[in-house]
Amino acid sequence: MAREERPETAEAKVRRGLRRTVLTILAWVVSLALLGVWASTGVYTLAPGQEAVILRLGRYSRTVGEPGPQIHLPPPIETHAIVNTSAIERQEFGAHADAQDARKEAHLESAMQTSDNNLVILGFVVQYRIQNAFDALYKVSNAEAILRDAAQAAVREVVGRTTIDGVLSEQRGQVEAETEETLQQLMDRYQTGLAILAVQLQEVQPPQQVRAAFDDVIAASQDKSRTVNEAEGFANEVVPKARGEASELREQAAGYKAARIAAATGAASRFRALAAEYRKAPEVTRTRLYLETMEEVLPAVDKYVVEPGAAGVVPYLPLGREKVRREPPRIRTEPESPPGAAAPETRP
Amino acid sequence: MRRLPLLVLVLLATFSALVWMGGKGWGPLVVTQVDEQKLILVFGRPVSVLTTPGLSLRLPFVSDVRTFDHRLLYFNAEPLPIQTRDEERIVVDNYVVWRIIDPLQYFQSFPTGSSPAEAQIDRVVRARVRQVIGQKTLAEVLTTARVDIMKEIAEATNAGLKGTGIVIEDVRINRTELPSGTEENVYARMRAERQRLSRQLRAEGEEQGRRIRAEAERAALVLVAEAKRDADILRGEGDAEAARTYADAYSGDPGFYEFVRSLDAYRKVIPSNTTLVLPPTNDFFRLFQTRNVREP
Repeated sequence: MAREERPETAEAKVRRGLRRTVLTILAWVVSLALLGVWASTGVYTLAPGQEAVILRLGRYSRTVGEPGPQIHLPPPIETHAIVNTSAIERQEFGAHADAQDARKEAHLESAMQTSDNNLVILGFVVQYRIQNAFDALYKVSNAEAILRDAAQAAVREVVGRTTIDGVLSEQRGQVEAETEETLQQLMDRYQTGLAILAVQLQEVQPPQQVRAAFDDVIAASQDKSRTVNEAEGFANEVVPKARGEASELREQAAGYKAARIAAATGAASRFRALAAEYRKAPEVTRTRLYLETMEEVLPAVDKYVVEPGAAGVVPYLPLGREKVRREPPRIRTEPESPPGAAAPETRP
Repeated sequence: MRRLPLLVLVLLATFSALVWMGGKGWGPLVVTQVDEQKLILVFGRPVSVLTTPGLSLRLPFVSDVRTFDHRLLYFNAEPLPIQTRDEERIVVDNYVVWRIIDPLQYFQSFPTGSSPAEAQIDRVVRARVRQVIGQKTLAEVLTTARVDIMKEIAEATNAGLKGTGIVIEDVRINRTELPSGTEENVYARMRAERQRLSRQLRAEGEEQGRRIRAEAERAALVLVAEAKRDADILRGEGDAEAARTYADAYSGDPGFYEFVRSLDAYRKVIPSNTTLVLPPTNDFFRLFQTRNVREP
């Protein structure tokens, strides 16, 4: 434009220069505005816990994890996809995932065969989150559907290695851990980008049709411990009682021994003393002792003095009417007296 | 020089527009996304295969672009009833994870799309599942050999799908079920096993209970018997000691002992209310008689 050499008026020259400047400025302003608008389409915002995967011309470029406003080259040069990588998702499997309508399906989902070829009804929950945003978006077509089937494959594989008793009781934790591990391996193998956080067995039961038999095993187990407890209770009662009885017998015998020895010592001492006095005056002492005894014995008895050989006096003994002898109660436990050991009793 | 930025801007805008058009399937640029692979056809004839993401060129107007998935694909096959080697019937439900590794072969095998491909995979997988599981016993299918079986099925399926551009990444049995009707047999067996267990537990309880009771009774018996033995030993000792003491004392004067002991015995054996018939010549009445009769 500036090359044209035409005579111009100074006024026209100035006007043209002005117009050109205005047009140039206008072009710049419009261009920059358009550029700005275009660039602004590359602005996006990440909430905490979100990640954005940036593709440049279809190729993977980078993953952005900083929360806040971000910018990338405007589309279609670069595009972004946002994924929540911190949210914990869960999927439920088995009987109580669906209540009424899908009962057949629920049953199919939850009945599993154990290694001893029993059936067990098992519901479980898988918790997971997206660990690798790029894999989750672009490596696999339907990550959640795969997770659903893979989880069932994994749990069935593990339950298939375990006995029904193990699944029902002591190996539950092991089943959970092994399922989690197997499922994570599958997720890694399929590059789903999912991290399995937990596999929890929810309800583990024998099938309805055999539940009574399983309950009876529990009852039998309780019966067993009850029987054992009762027996132990019996043992705990009988043995101490016997121990008490044994102590009683020993103490009684010790008492008897002491009593016998004491009695013998006393009696011997008494006899010695008496004998010593007797030796000093044998005749008198003898007579005195005899008479004293008779005085004691005879007053209480019915006495008949009958001349031996006296005719007419028939000694009639009222044998049938003998009164029961009153005897003072004796508080002595004396099994049997050895011959010649009868002690002279001290009597009033 | 002043126009250079404007030029750059215009070029950039043009490029962006072309990329945008490429994304829509127009123009000379082809954008292969990271999860895609593409086939460029000219008059229906495949001329190039794009398996890596990025930009490519094509002839506009006369060429056609077909897009295929580059991701892992998945489908769940219908449950399949199978008879195992030990003639158990079982229903196997499995899923297949596959991908397209050769878009050209895939396009030639399945020009109309992915559902014939899935049908083909399903057919091959079913045949292989039936074949492989038919050679195994039920126990192997359920437990030990499960992983190997799945690997074997995947390999056999891959062999069957050679030349279709498809590779099977995994075939996995997610469910095995007993066909309806045979469950009752399993339940009966389970019930029998549980009953055996119940009986065993109760019998074990009985066994332990009886043993504990018997042991307790034995212990009690032994305790008492030993105590009785000890008691008799003590009594014997007491009696012996007493006898020795008596003998020591009485042997000093046996005659006097007899006399004193006899008197004691009278006291004891003749309690009150006894009827005694005595002759007047009795020692006790001797003086009594003499005074009355002979010396008035």
